[in-house]
Amino acid sequence: MSAEALSKAVNLLSFIALGLTILLIVRTRLEGQVRVFAWQSLVLVFLSELIALYSGSLELVCVGVALFIIKAMVIPRVLNRAVAKIGLQRATAPYLGTAPALIICGLLTIVAFYVMTPIATSNPLPTADAIPLAFAGVLIGFFVMVNRRRAVTQILGFLMLENGIFLLALLATYGVPFIVEMGVFLDVLVAVLIMEVFVYRIKENFDSIDVGTLGELKE
Amino acid sequence: MMLISLLLIPLVAAGLIALVRRRLLIELLHCLAAIATLGIGAAIAARVWSGAVPTAAGDLLRADALSALMVSIITFLGAIAALYSVGYLRAEFDDAHLARARLFFVLFHLFIFTMLVAVTTDNLGVMWIAIEGTTLATVFLVHLHQTRTSLEAAYKYLILSSVGIALAFIGTALMYYAGAAKAGEIAVNWSALRATAGSLKAEVVRLAFVFIVIGYGTKAGLAPMHTWLPDAHSEAPAPISALMSGVLLNVGLYAMLRFKAVVDVAVGHQFAERLLIGVGLFSLLIAAAFLVRQRNYKRMLAYSSVEHIGIICLGLGFGGYWGVFGALFHVVNHALAKSLLFILSGNILVQYHSTEIREVRGLLRAAPWTGALFLAGTFALIGLPPFAPFISEFIIFRAGLAYHPWATASAMILLVVIFGGMLASVNRMLYGEPPADLRRGDTLRPWLVPLAANFTVLLVLGLTFPYPFVAALKEVLAILGV
Repeated sequence: MSAEALSKAVNLLSFIALGLTILLIVRTRLEGQVRVFAWQSLVLVFLSELIALYSGSLELVCVGVALFIIKAMVIPRVLNRAVAKIGLQRATAPYLGTAPALIICGLLTIVAFYVMTPIATSNPLPTADAIPLAFAGVLIGFFVMVNRRRAVTQILGFLMLENGIFLLALLATYGVPFIVEMGVFLDVLVAVLIMEVFVYRIKENFDSIDVGTLGELKE
Repeated sequence: MMLISLLLIPLVAAGLIALVRRRLLIELLHCLAAIATLGIGAAIAARVWSGAVPTAAGDLLRADALSALMVSIITFLGAIAALYSVGYLRAEFDDAHLARARLFFVLFHLFIFTMLVAVTTDNLGVMWIAIEGTTLATVFLVHLHQTRTSLEAAYKYLILSSVGIALAFIGTALMYYAGAAKAGEIAVNWSALRATAGSLKAEVVRLAFVFIVIGYGTKAGLAPMHTWLPDAHSEAPAPISALMSGVLLNVGLYAMLRFKAVVDVAVGHQFAERLLIGVGLFSLLIAAAFLVRQRNYKRMLAYSSVEHIGIICLGLGFGGYWGVFGALFHVVNHALAKSLLFILSGNILVQYHSTEIREVRGLLRAAPWTGALFLAGTFALIGLPPFAPFISEFIIFRAGLAYHPWATASAMILLVVIFGGMLASVNRMLYGEPPADLRRGDTLRPWLVPLAANFTVLLVLGLTFPYPFVAALKEVLAILGV
């Protein structure tokens, strides 16, 4: 595989990953949102195996496998269990509707290109062109967390943000060392399990997973 | 070997406590583990300060003078909070709630473990994992009382800290990339990165440090990323508040310091200094705004942490030998004074069953020891002599006057506002007639004895400025390249 072909494939896949993050804003049903996240993780698995193939890094192959198990299998299953357990939820309106939210996404992508292009152009790796796309995914994930009031969607926003960071590190350096990546996956998994517990507790205490109802702590 | 046992003791203790059923046995294990950790921590600090740099597990663990300073703070205050926890937990969770008491003791040692890993590893990725681990270990501790407000505080803490720390990971990855081109695979180690810092790409390093300040600044409680802090610190059980405020914030600061040492060499020290003066001043401003007429004494102490982290950042931002010296000195002083006050706040809560300042009346009459110690601790915290924070704040502002007169002057004005606000709040608690149905006499008095250690150190540092301590700080300064 030539560097040019890799660069093109990486650009395409990173673009799909970003598109899936934006899809999270359009989707309103929780099951659909979980599926979007699982698909995005799968795209990242594919990407890391592709780069592993190109660079001949066995570590990266293992990282891809772990990514598949944790983010494409286990975490979506945990989230689906949570969605099933809390039952059908009255759809709470996001703070911003779909159309303005999409405009914000566009603006955030421009910001991402503005911030990250100097980094991307100074990077000799063939994957570097897509760095701004990865960072746009981080920013949009963050925006989803702020914009959506449902706790489960906030968790998904956080996971998309995490995926964006994974992609960023992958594109900029072919991934951080194996032991660090494993530790990060473990942290994310534990964080999601704890967040799941909190979703149940919030549901029990406030009879809703609308985090807008959390507002008793004031000055 | 010592480094490994330092980490193993709290980890094994957490595992053993999870298995034990009898309360007395749990408490015994808990105290033994905390004291053993303190012993090993002191031994490591002594070795480092005599010139050694112990390493273990390949190049994964490495303790230099900066690590030793943090290990001393973590294990010393950890032991004091651990001893008080026994009494506090007996008062708050009786034998019917033994499961929750056990959860507390297990998570307490996991919390200590994650902090110790963060400050003794040389690998910046592992440091990141450990600092995220501190959030995961403490989130159920914040929610230990299982009230609606503690649920809200814990959820906010978990989400905001996770996002903040995720941004710190971008900074770490960028720094890794900045080093990867030159130093190869080992560049994710701090000592290797520091050694090659001169050849890093400047524009990547600058961007990386902005992410680091936002990310680890969230953990350190710097404004405007501080919004989780007053909620989490006020809802957590008192000994945990003491450790979160006095110790955990410093771990976030420690991570920033490690990166600052690299950035200073790579792009010159002015870049980091300007950034730190900015966030430091803003933190002071936010703290001052919320400390005037604060209605909740635990939130008051939490906002005061935002203030003191701001002062420390100002010291680092003023830079030069004395600026950084004062900042490190203030790290120690704030840790001692704040953990002391949070522990006492636990005593007040047990007695008055409220964290509202207006519910607490006549503290000096109802609980003379608690009240008097709380007043003395407040004096130390707001920087009155003869306590050590007076000296460290003086050093920081003296360092700032030369090159940053405006920043120094505005910081001093804010400090006066905070001084007045906190004294007024504490005054309202100390005097007046205690509620008629209130039980008189200090609660948990025997459990306050360890606080004598905090006061002793604060006074000794403030009055004598002992040479071994100054020498230890000098070694840290050498590591930071000041």
